[in-house]
Amino acid sequence: MPEGLLSEVTVLDLTEGAAGPFGTKLFADYGARVIKVERPGTGDPARRVGPFPEGCDGDAGALFLFLNTGKESITLDIATATGRLMLLELVEHVDVVIEGFAPGLLDGIGLGYDALLQRNPRLLITSATPYGRSGPYAGHLATELTSYAAGGQMSLCGDADREPFMPAGHQASYQLGMHAFGATLAALYSVGILEAGQSVELAAMECMAATLELYLPDHTYVGREILTKRRGNIISSTLGIFPCADGYVGVHIMARNFASFARIMGTEWMLEDERFSSERNRLRQHDQILAQVYSWAAERTRAEIYQRSADERCTLAPVLTIPEVLKQPHLLERGFFRQLDDPRAGPLTYTGPPFRPGEGEWELRPAPRLGEHNTDVYGELLDISSRDLVLLRQAGAI
Amino acid sequence: MERLPLFNVRVIDLSKVWAGPYATRLLGDMGAEVIKIEAPGSWDLTRSLSLLPADTERAYNKAGYFMEYNRNKLGCVLDLAQPKGRELALRLIAMSDVVIENYRADVMEGLGLTYDALRSVKPDVILVSMPSHGLWGPDAGRIGYGTHMEQLSGLVSLSGYADDVPRKSGISYGDPVAGMTAAAATIGALLHRRWTGHGQHVEVAQVEAILPFLGEIFVEYSMTGCAPPRRGNRHRSMAPHGVYRCAGDTFDKLSASDSWVAIAIENDAQFAALCAAIGRPELARDERYADVVSRYRNQDDLDPIVSEWTKGRSHHEAAAQLQAAGVPAEPVLTIPELVVDPHLRERGFWEEVTNRESGTWTMDAPAWRFSRTPAHVRLPAPVFGEHNDYVFRELLGLSEEEIAALEREGVTSREPVAGQDT
Repeated sequence: MPEGLLSEVTVLDLTEGAAGPFGTKLFADYGARVIKVERPGTGDPARRVGPFPEGCDGDAGALFLFLNTGKESITLDIATATGRLMLLELVEHVDVVIEGFAPGLLDGIGLGYDALLQRNPRLLITSATPYGRSGPYAGHLATELTSYAAGGQMSLCGDADREPFMPAGHQASYQLGMHAFGATLAALYSVGILEAGQSVELAAMECMAATLELYLPDHTYVGREILTKRRGNIISSTLGIFPCADGYVGVHIMARNFASFARIMGTEWMLEDERFSSERNRLRQHDQILAQVYSWAAERTRAEIYQRSADERCTLAPVLTIPEVLKQPHLLERGFFRQLDDPRAGPLTYTGPPFRPGEGEWELRPAPRLGEHNTDVYGELLDISSRDLVLLRQAGAI
Repeated sequence: MERLPLFNVRVIDLSKVWAGPYATRLLGDMGAEVIKIEAPGSWDLTRSLSLLPADTERAYNKAGYFMEYNRNKLGCVLDLAQPKGRELALRLIAMSDVVIENYRADVMEGLGLTYDALRSVKPDVILVSMPSHGLWGPDAGRIGYGTHMEQLSGLVSLSGYADDVPRKSGISYGDPVAGMTAAAATIGALLHRRWTGHGQHVEVAQVEAILPFLGEIFVEYSMTGCAPPRRGNRHRSMAPHGVYRCAGDTFDKLSASDSWVAIAIENDAQFAALCAAIGRPELARDERYADVVSRYRNQDDLDPIVSEWTKGRSHHEAAAQLQAAGVPAEPVLTIPELVVDPHLRERGFWEEVTNRESGTWTMDAPAWRFSRTPAHVRLPAPVFGEHNDYVFRELLGLSEEEIAALEREGVTSREPVAGQDT
């Protein structure tokens, strides 16, 4: 196996669902050893989120297969006395523990942060939850939808006269997962400076509230509420998603892009006209520009518009469907999407590395079966024999 | 005070707008010394997005967008396109650890600031390049903003109301996604350098960075040949699952409020709790809603029943009551509501920051919360050229005369060239 960017790191992953596993998937794909701790019997609930590969027994849904590439799976019931002791022993062999439990849960079973740090003083503990470990909402029940609603981004999605909506997928969880990855890396860097471990806490609500573009500072600074209202697909005459001949096209024109856009629309006269000579002036011509953009887009295809945008170095892009994304020549030539032969599902298409290191590999390996690595991990790290593993299994510890 | 995680790391930040500056903001929050470089005639264009009255003096030092994403950084004005500017930049890079840029793919080469050029002055330098379409490939010459990244990723085509057109998200979503990815990439490269002694050139192609945020959908597509349809707020199996209109504080009672509560029912127990909370316990025993599958089939009948209850109370009341009953529910919080939100207030998420020319206002604190080394907003965003003296005099050891000459030659300045981004 090639040396990964993060091959030096071993992570004990106590998370399940989407957010934590996205963060630890990043670790695993960049070469870290990630030991995923799953509940005996059922494992990570994400295993049972469909669709499922044909002939699979319902524990390897697409979400799980994506989120758990490259990880080793062990089963362990940390709420049992034996399981608790085994976890404490495992902690001695890892650099990082990542968890997403409700606040207080680990303390309640004798696995609070102090207990973990006592076993390994250089340990880093990352908590990634919807609301964090303290505060009035810390104990709230949460799903993808309710978590996204609380972070503020949802209030900006949708038409003013319809309900706000949540974009597709798991955007609240994945933002949290990526932040958990970055923060944990920063924590790892800090160990070399502090010569001691620590914990780092992330709340999805705060990660999302920190990324509200200019809409947050415009409110906190100027006190206005104009920009805090959702405005649908058309934010301004030159920022939005417009219908075109064969679909939809995204237009985002800043001051420096206006001249090229005028050339593309065939309205070069605007560049000579005082009424269109600055952002402020153009704001006053909003309706005229908007009508122009609508009529221009309506008669052109996405391909035509995207080509003209490249020729003029303008900032226009097509709204692509999933099969179209997979066929983009740029991504094909860059080999971004990867085929991975999953032992249960056969060849599947996976997204490639979110960033490409110049040194230190990114590599995709299949997601594990439940408890697939019990023998290896417990044997290697805790020196437990296969015979003892049988006894532990019978006792319900693993 | 304990040393922050990126203590002693110096970052030369050539990035502009949101994606790059958000990455370097995260690094600055973590204790790196981030030096943001702008040129006299080429500022960060967010300085022009001030939304302030036209007669505001020095509005470029007061733009909220710029100040929000450039806190915890120093600012230096240096024109890299001039030989003298390039030479000073290389001297600065020689005493730095990281260089981050989000130019179009060919710009750094045009400036003579290739990875090899940087490595010749700093052998273990980490260069993080984050052009919108990456450094190579057929589209490498293109430019694009965060809105385009979500359009090109497929996210927009999948998002929106079930009966309606593809929808953009509310923000330039590709920007924070690329920014947080680049921040993580930078710290990963710093760790790798600690372990191996080697620097590297990291490429963050923004069109690629957003795609893993839809990763399971590509797996699903390759498994089934179908991508999921646009569902609005509905879920592939849970029901009820949506946002429901609540009573708001509208002045006239006739217009509908714009307050909403999000409710998601994962299982039978939560459904029974919902029914009890809204005063319709009999629904939990109704065979039309007896299990996940039947609730999913009959959700069109359930939604108005839930709305009937929510419209009689505020979104905060509705969510609190449902949470107390064991139901996942949360108000759809607006920006003004977030700023006064009791949870975020109690957690100290909002900090008062005094900016040099725009007074004191509220800013979100670093979201990465470390137990031993808590991070705060240590520095307001720099006004244009604020740290020229620190960089030129203290770091590069230039004399007064040399700095004056740089200003005369337009290699640096204390005020921007007028007329940018109008």
